[in-house]
Amino acid sequence: MRKTSWETLTTKYPALFSTTLLIVALLINLYLQPNMFARETLNSNMRVFLPLVLLAVGQAFVILGGGIDISVGGIVSIVNTILAVYVGLNGSIEKMWIYMIVSLFVGALCGAINGFFIAILRLQPIITTYATSFLYVGLALFILPNPGGGIPQSIAEFYRTTTPLGIPLAFYIIAILLVIWRYIRSTQFGSYLYAVGGKAEAAYETAVPVTWIHFSTYVISGLMSAMAGIAITMLSGSGNAEIGSPMTLSAITAVVIGGTALSGGVGGVTGPIMGALTLGIIQNIISFSHINTWWETFVKATIIVIALAAPGLINLFGRRKS
Amino acid sequence: MSAALSAQHVVKRYGGVVALSDANLDIHSGEILALIGANGSGKSTISKVINGVVDLDGGQLLLDGKLVRITSPQVAKHLGISTVFQELSLIPQMSIADNIWLTREPLKSFKVINRKLLNQKTEELLSLFDGTLRTKFKPDLPVSALSPDEKQIIEILKAISIDPWLIILDEATASLDNRQVERLFELVRQWKAKGKAVIFISHRMEEIFRIADRFSVLRNGKTVGEGDIKDITEKELIQLMIERENVVQFTKVSAESESQSRTKSVYLEVENLQTETLHGVSFRVHEGELVGVGGLRGQGQRDLLLSIFGDIPFHGNIKIKGQSIHFHHPKDAIKHGIALVPGERAREGLLYIRTVLENLLLPSWNKYGFPLKIRKAKEDAARVGDRLNLVMASLMDPVSSLSGGNAQKVVIGKWLLRNPQCYLLDDPTKGVDVNTKAEFYALLTNLSKEGKTILFYSSDDDELVGLCDRVLVLHDGIIRAELKGRTLTKENLIAASLGVSNGGEA
Repeated sequence: MRKTSWETLTTKYPALFSTTLLIVALLINLYLQPNMFARETLNSNMRVFLPLVLLAVGQAFVILGGGIDISVGGIVSIVNTILAVYVGLNGSIEKMWIYMIVSLFVGALCGAINGFFIAILRLQPIITTYATSFLYVGLALFILPNPGGGIPQSIAEFYRTTTPLGIPLAFYIIAILLVIWRYIRSTQFGSYLYAVGGKAEAAYETAVPVTWIHFSTYVISGLMSAMAGIAITMLSGSGNAEIGSPMTLSAITAVVIGGTALSGGVGGVTGPIMGALTLGIIQNIISFSHINTWWETFVKATIIVIALAAPGLINLFGRRKS
Repeated sequence: MSAALSAQHVVKRYGGVVALSDANLDIHSGEILALIGANGSGKSTISKVINGVVDLDGGQLLLDGKLVRITSPQVAKHLGISTVFQELSLIPQMSIADNIWLTREPLKSFKVINRKLLNQKTEELLSLFDGTLRTKFKPDLPVSALSPDEKQIIEILKAISIDPWLIILDEATASLDNRQVERLFELVRQWKAKGKAVIFISHRMEEIFRIADRFSVLRNGKTVGEGDIKDITEKELIQLMIERENVVQFTKVSAESESQSRTKSVYLEVENLQTETLHGVSFRVHEGELVGVGGLRGQGQRDLLLSIFGDIPFHGNIKIKGQSIHFHHPKDAIKHGIALVPGERAREGLLYIRTVLENLLLPSWNKYGFPLKIRKAKEDAARVGDRLNLVMASLMDPVSSLSGGNAQKVVIGKWLLRNPQCYLLDDPTKGVDVNTKAEFYALLTNLSKEGKTILFYSSDDDELVGLCDRVLVLHDGIIRAELKGRTLTKENLIAASLGVSNGGEA
């Protein structure tokens, strides 16, 4: 009975666990870094977290629909190199606008390629996007073989320092994402997304356009990856074809910590956003607790493993008690 | 809203297997038709044909006298035909309301789903089953939190939410309790009065006689009888379901030796076995006895075999040779000399893409030391292959290259090397050709002669009657009847399977 109630709770409030985790991480971070909520510190943290947040949102759509996209890092890299090479350190604002729009198109196109293979040719998502990730990274390397290039300092500064009404820019973007998600969740598309991820066969028998839904999740993921690419380029100000690759697994981890099951059909976007923030804060905690750099990766991984295992452990104890 | 659907001379093949050879069916508005037949007679197939899940290979469907092609469930829906599937079409993570109205959600502006109206419409549907559901039954409860009967009711509500004129109820009452069945029947009568038609598929004779107007009997994919339910008795219906001609000849080993088996010691003793589907099963099997387990599919036979094998948790006592045991893992059972031939051989019985050799030796590799004595292993495997008359190109070929019958021989062959004392067989002749079946029967009788104890579930009633010393018939998770000697006839077996009371408890 306990098990059912926990299950019911997590199905109804998919962000329950990730909220708890985020609050715990926040408290630890606050203890180690008391000035954390000062405007400057908060902003410098948030602008670093934002690219992963955007990536996690796109990934959440794919995973909710029952797939997985491990090419997102490659798309981030392509966008980063496009901006760094074609806008350039001395480019104009107009150029930046044009290539940001180009980037979004490229991202959507990359997503459509994934979607074509997976939804229409019915290939395995994990293998397909693994393969296309090389395609995308390869393209990024072709555009920019060695790290370099960049965007104008003024644009990077705009991203880094804008705090309307004293609130970091990232919060506005997250708020917009949440509003859009709430809208999507309440439409028929949102309902189809959960149906397809939950049990694709049953959805098909009920006349849900399964292929189209699968396809669209990869396009959304491509678009969000492009936005993450734009954000990370503004953050770093320079180009590097390898910049995206390490972000892929972080994005998937953020989604899972956020209570969105890899099997699909459970969770949402709010949880993954908090998951991405949590991962960022964990990184913060590690750098402030003066852990020997040798141990850093190990400690980080341990925290993530515990966070991932926690819901399973709660279920296990629930079963024991009943 | 008056309509009529007629299926004429329908043929449906799955690969080489003929599921329907000449199925006929007529149904009109305001009528309840009972579709009756034994296991594998094609009831579910004909309902799938009518619902567009499978396309027919021959024959035709007429709607109001006009030829129609129902190529997908969507087409069926447009024609006003709705099915309550035996395997539910619900999405567990989604709420009751979302499931019922999926693809037909009421929308507000900007394509936003109108939750209020959605929940209201769901409440209206749920009120049809008022009093038979838990009180806290809310439209936003996820389906995964429901019990099997509640899920079944949601599936029924989903089917009727499109307001069809023809509703197919495929075993819809199987998981409902009495009050829920009662309510469903009230609804069915209301639908009938409104001019809707219902095809009612059930194994429960009592229900068929209560609700149906007409009947149609399928046997081996052929319609063998139709008529008004008031003109026929239970016994006559069962007669219709039974086949006269017998294809395979059976040789019984120990039909004469009933007294002999009594003198042998008890090998397996099961007392009050309970699992999710079993509700207190007790029986004994003597050494060297071949005991059949019969009944309709899904009455707990699988759980029975799996719990003895230590594969699923259970309550109750199991004794082997008088010694109480409670296996928690199949390896314990294997150590005690028990072997299982599972029901789904591709998934549970074999490493499909690995070689015949590896599969045959899988339970016994530890006998071949370290490093492995490969030559001896090959010799042993070849011997088992010969004994089973295994048709294969080489021991090193993958099992996936074998025919169904030969693959099944590998499943049983992998145990022969361990020489177990007791075999648990879960429908081993399913999808196996006639010749291999005959070889199987010979093998089973031989094993039984050697003194091995065999518990044999089969969905083929002829096999059970022809081969076994005794047959335990399961129905709703209990042993409905124990048939042996003169009472072991196909009539009694089917009657007991259907839960008819006169199932010869000798």
